[in-house]
Amino acid sequence: MSDLFTIPLEIVRQEAVAPAACTAEEYAARAHYYRLLAGAFIEEPGRDYLAALRTPESLEALAELGVTFDNDFIDPTPDELQETLACEYTVLFASSGGFPPVESVRLKGGFQQDPCFAAREFYAKEGFSVGAGRFQVFDDQLGVELQFIAALMDRIVIAMQRGDNQEQRRLEKSVKRFWAQHLGRWVRGYAALVERAASHSFYRETAMLLDAFAAFELELLGLDVTDEDQGRMELPPLAGADEPMRCGA
Amino acid sequence: MLKLTRRTFLKASAGTTAAAVAAPSMLRAMEADLGGRDIDPVSLIERKSIPTNCHVCNIQDGALAFVENGRVVKLEGNPEHVSTRGRLCAKGNAGMWYSYDPDRILYPLKRVGKRGEGKWKRISWDEAYNEIAARLDDVLTNGHPNEIMLKWGRNRTGGVLERFMHTLGSATILNHTSVCESSKKIGMEPTWGPDIEMPDFANTKYVLNFGSNVLEAAYFHNPFSQRVTEGRVDSNMKIVTFDVRLSNTAGFSDEWIPVYPGTDGAVALALGHVILRENLQDSDFIENWTNVSVQELKDHYKQFTPEWAAKLSGVPVETIERIAREFATTKPATTYTYRGPAKHMYGSYNEKACMMLPIMTGNIEKRGGYCLPRGMGYDQPQPQPPKPATPSYLAHPDEYPLAGHKVSHLVPFWITEGKQKIKVYFSYQDNPVYTNPGADAVWGELFRNEELIPFYVCLSPFMGEEAQLADIILPDVPYLERWEPESMPSSLWPWLAIRQPVIKPLGEGKETRVYLQELIHKLDPDGSRGMKKFWGFKSAEDYLRKQFENIPGLKEAGGLDFLKKHGVWPIYGKLNPRTGKISDKSGREIAAEYGLYRKELSAADMAGAMVDGKGAIHKNGKVIGVQRKGRNYVGFPTHDRLINVRVDQWAEYGFNPMPTFKRMPWHENMKDDEMILTTFKLNVHKQSRTAAVKWLAEISHANPAWLGTETAAKLGIKTGDLIRIESGVGHIVTKALVTEGIHPKVIAVSTAHGHWGYGRLAQLKLKEAAGQYGAADDPDLKNVWWDDKGVHPNHIIPAVADPIGGSQGWYDTVVKVSKAQPGDKYGDMVADWNKHVQWYKEGMRYTYVGDMHRKMHPEMASWAGPDSVKHKATGGH
Ligand code: SF4
Repeated sequence: MSDLFTIPLEIVRQEAVAPAACTAEEYAARAHYYRLLAGAFIEEPGRDYLAALRTPESLEALAELGVTFDNDFIDPTPDELQETLACEYTVLFASSGGFPPVESVRLKGGFQQDPCFAAREFYAKEGFSVGAGRFQVFDDQLGVELQFIAALMDRIVIAMQRGDNQEQRRLEKSVKRFWAQHLGRWVRGYAALVERAASHSFYRETAMLLDAFAAFELELLGLDVTDEDQGRMELPPLAGADEPMRCGA
Repeated sequence: MLKLTRRTFLKASAGTTAAAVAAPSMLRAMEADLGGRDIDPVSLIERKSIPTNCHVCNIQDGALAFVENGRVVKLEGNPEHVSTRGRLCAKGNAGMWYSYDPDRILYPLKRVGKRGEGKWKRISWDEAYNEIAARLDDVLTNGHPNEIMLKWGRNRTGGVLERFMHTLGSATILNHTSVCESSKKIGMEPTWGPDIEMPDFANTKYVLNFGSNVLEAAYFHNPFSQRVTEGRVDSNMKIVTFDVRLSNTAGFSDEWIPVYPGTDGAVALALGHVILRENLQDSDFIENWTNVSVQELKDHYKQFTPEWAAKLSGVPVETIERIAREFATTKPATTYTYRGPAKHMYGSYNEKACMMLPIMTGNIEKRGGYCLPRGMGYDQPQPQPPKPATPSYLAHPDEYPLAGHKVSHLVPFWITEGKQKIKVYFSYQDNPVYTNPGADAVWGELFRNEELIPFYVCLSPFMGEEAQLADIILPDVPYLERWEPESMPSSLWPWLAIRQPVIKPLGEGKETRVYLQELIHKLDPDGSRGMKKFWGFKSAEDYLRKQFENIPGLKEAGGLDFLKKHGVWPIYGKLNPRTGKISDKSGREIAAEYGLYRKELSAADMAGAMVDGKGAIHKNGKVIGVQRKGRNYVGFPTHDRLINVRVDQWAEYGFNPMPTFKRMPWHENMKDDEMILTTFKLNVHKQSRTAAVKWLAEISHANPAWLGTETAAKLGIKTGDLIRIESGVGHIVTKALVTEGIHPKVIAVSTAHGHWGYGRLAQLKLKEAAGQYGAADDPDLKNVWWDDKGVHPNHIIPAVADPIGGSQGWYDTVVKVSKAQPGDKYGDMVADWNKHVQWYKEGMRYTYVGDMHRKMHPEMASWAGPDSVKHKATGGH
């Protein structure tokens, strides 16, 4: 998982790849987007990741895509920002009453349900297994699913470089199948939910980017998958959820 | 050529029925299996079955978990378990939803905002250990170990929590028993030894049930429900239930007799009066096996006339007379009690009065009678830390010397009064902010006060009303993910069992015995503090292996490995699919052993023993048995091996040593518009941790207040109306359910509902947030059709304690009930800390050092007063 924290952000500046047969460069660029987004959701953002994101070049590049962070992301010291985002991450994704970025929870209402095992099987078929980062993650955690696609795309690039068309096609099919069976089913609605519920602009904006990127990828893959996550529904903001109940006195 | 027409076909079919029936069948309907196997209905693949122990509630039934593709998909009873016999209750069937709960805490959390603000930061285990170890180190270096407190709600760790606290040298160990059944225990223990009875429901002819709803809750709900049903069907048993409410058990009974709350004891004494007056007692048993004579008993019971009891309880004189005769002349017969009699200010007296009935009729330890519980023990791994040298006031308060199971629900008041300082507070599966009297107005108030509780560590897999006020939450794991030893006296056959992980802990959840060892190692990394040596376990399984490696019989059978395979030991027989009972090799139901107190002492036991004039057999300074008619019996597990009808220790503190009844003064002069508030449990819920469990929440999610038809008519209240229930400490606003099934002076509200800090399903946050939690494919969550989460009554119940047994007086609260007032909203819960303090102080007046004690006990006029006794440590656990 450590590659999450060393993202060459010049990639972000590149234009979105065209919805046609992709070049090796385009695959590499897409893989980087996946990793960039995985970095926001797989665990609390790390210091290097945040530093890389806050360079003027990357902020500019993201702004060109329509991603603009508020001062809450720009102004704090690195330590302050990391601390604030760690707390925001916990409340949104890793404690009771939040909405974990986990496919089983989003689609089945509980941790470690069928999607978790199906994702694990998918990874295993491609020769991957999930290890731990700073914390243990479920196999169907958003960040893991995104990293998996990134890894497949890395391999597509290698296959293309080798001229191994058969392997390239097989891997492309795998990407498509994984989107159809997993990410496509929940990630857009979920991103829309995070966008609305987050109180920090970092999560609001990365969720927005995730939403747009997912739509883009689905179009590129030629997939028409219904997003079954209900996050797209109108809902009140989270305000008040953290107010303690006072009884008497 | 053979040709079938419809007519010939039908005709032939009718003629060949017998042959068809006689033809051997190789095909089995899999769903007809009695249990033990399970097949995926789609793939037809057999699911992996792993034996474990249910722990949704505290009955501890043997269970099988069926695991498919790494997921627990079904739970059922372990058919090899002698008490459970292949059946779980509804709660047990739903147990896997704890593991998969989307609100589960999977990582250590650290509070980052104000207490209760809901702001957390996920931290690593190591960070958590460092923080906690630093706090503990500070106490151990600069303070006193007793400033570290641990309070558990449900502790089935088999000694792990005690080991942890003793390692730290702290005696400030608190439990939850005083809000549960402590006065039942204290009513029984000094009388006959154990803290519970084992009624042989399956073989009895008559049951007097005082305030137990055994078909829905109570000890031992699932095994006992089965036996109660068998008693009805196989033995044609009669069951008479005294209860303020028509519970499912009362409804199942031949007679439901509504009693005025808290007067079961008076009724029991009057029943005893009739039995003794009409000479229906078992004189032989009384004279030989109790510490009183028949004449003493007759003289004592003269005062408890049916007329006296009828006035107090509302039960007609003729009913008392008739039931007394029926009970005494039907053999075998038994009583059974649970919270009804015990959860009152003088609950211990009530319990004792009830248990006197099977004692005076000689129904003790007989087939179909009132038996001693059968249990089995397991070991504690060696070496063990020594018990702390300095006692803790909170654990053994001076004012309650007889309350051997502690008086934990009064702890907030004592901490506030400065009786004992606490610097680090651990809670383990304990949510007093919800479950205790006063609820948030008392315990919430305590936890929010950082001066009183400077550091609060909550050991729990779930957020709850208590956890949300913690400084650190350590993600313990639900029961399907942990190792624990088990034994419960839940049938006439003793057993040992284990809870073993059927799936690995999710996320970074850890078992109690694992993280407490790691914490101790952090505190004493090189062993120089003398702590580490008590925590040298290779794993949780290794810990358990040590607990089971030397049990005679089990050791030979394979020890822990046997338990891993079967879940329970011994295996007494096979579940008979025809009878649903356990059969031996010959196909007959296994036979229980009775008459445990009449077991004879061996020659080796008697070597060096001396028999006194009363037949007591003394050896090494202890009474080891009783000699009767030349035979040496083991007797009862009391200090003199007899049933102590007269409990001398009670008299030392100015309490009546003989069976008696006391009515609370505040019940004496109730006004016309006043009633008594009681609470109860429903069959699909336990106290505080089932309202968010899928399936159970759907079956029951709201708790309207039961109100009698006549009472409601007087107050102008109809079912569904908003009503205000007001006690001396606050009020709640809820809905009414008007019914004939309740005493006219009682209003009853079930617990388990009305949460404000636990589970999205319990709080209906799922609805409020209009689907933000997703679960698009989950039919259970998608179809949450209800919008009423209930109202919790505990806020307005004052914390008062039985001066003998220490029990909370759950059913003593006087309330006024009225239609909701302008501005009242459904769900309002208003209570006041200061008013709770006043009530707590009022309750303390009844302790043996309080000014009301003598007034309540005029018969003890010769008692020399509190200065005549010193606070002595008493029994209990
Ligand atoms: S009574 Fe029900 S919940 Fe309790 S242990 Fe038995 S099966 Fe489990």
